[in-house]
Amino acid sequence: MRLGEPARIQAAINITPLADVVLVLLIIFMVMAPQMRKGPDVNLPNTTKPNSQGDERGRILVSIDEAGGLWINDRPVAPEHFDETLRAAVGAEPNPRVVIRGDAKLNFRQVREAMVAVEQAGFRGVGLIAKRSGAEGK
Amino acid sequence: MQFNSNDSVSSLQSEINITPLVDVVLVLLIIFMVVVPLLMEGYDVDIPRASADTSAQVVESQLILSIGSAACPMFGPPAGEGIPKNCQVTLADQKIAAAELPARVASILGRRPAEQRALFLAVDDRLNYEGVLRIIDLAKSAVDDLKIEFVAAN
Repeated sequence: MRLGEPARIQAAINITPLADVVLVLLIIFMVMAPQMRKGPDVNLPNTTKPNSQGDERGRILVSIDEAGGLWINDRPVAPEHFDETLRAAVGAEPNPRVVIRGDAKLNFRQVREAMVAVEQAGFRGVGLIAKRSGAEGK
Repeated sequence: MQFNSNDSVSSLQSEINITPLVDVVLVLLIIFMVVVPLLMEGYDVDIPRASADTSAQVVESQLILSIGSAACPMFGPPAGEGIPKNCQVTLADQKIAAAELPARVASILGRRPAEQRALFLAVDDRLNYEGVLRIIDLAKSAVDDLKIEFVAAN
């Protein structure tokens, strides 16, 4: 708009501030997304063709960290309380499903013991979470 | 596109039209918000119940893959991709190189109906978890809908 010119009505909404805000939100989500996961940082095993295990919501995440510590969702659990904590985590979930996020450095015994514990708590079948080779993220 | 169709003198518009940019960015934002933190990938496995009765007929058709620590010394995470060349596994009592696994599993299980395609794994406790998952990955690669069950290693 030039000075001295009679101001014309501008019909378009100025969306530049909107674009700014949205871009900043996008960047925040891109940066925060890996940290929004429940549970500890686990260096997942790399494999070539893992199948989709679906949405993280509605799954019960059992994580085993590098030191062999057990976690249910975002809390560390002592092995002797594993059963009751797992049942409490299920709550009233109609169709619960347990996935195990085990660290790549673990040996098989630690993962097998967790699978047995999950099975003893009354779940049939678990998903072992892996990371597609070359994919980013944890 | 004509901006000022009513004006006799069209003025130059000096601003870039960022509406399409905003559209694209909004869609990207929604994708990131909804999808990224939630998707997981992995392998479905079973552990047979201790109480489950295994009838003789079922046992007969079981395809057992054993991974021992002597024939397949993977005690740390395997370097790079795939599994070490010196890894040998035992499939249906035959010792084979791990690299042959997809072809062998496919030749044995490929003819079976989908619901009977099950592979029973007996894995040594001392092996590295990542190595075991990679062997599962390899075994599953050639057969669709392969069920994996863990059995006790002996």
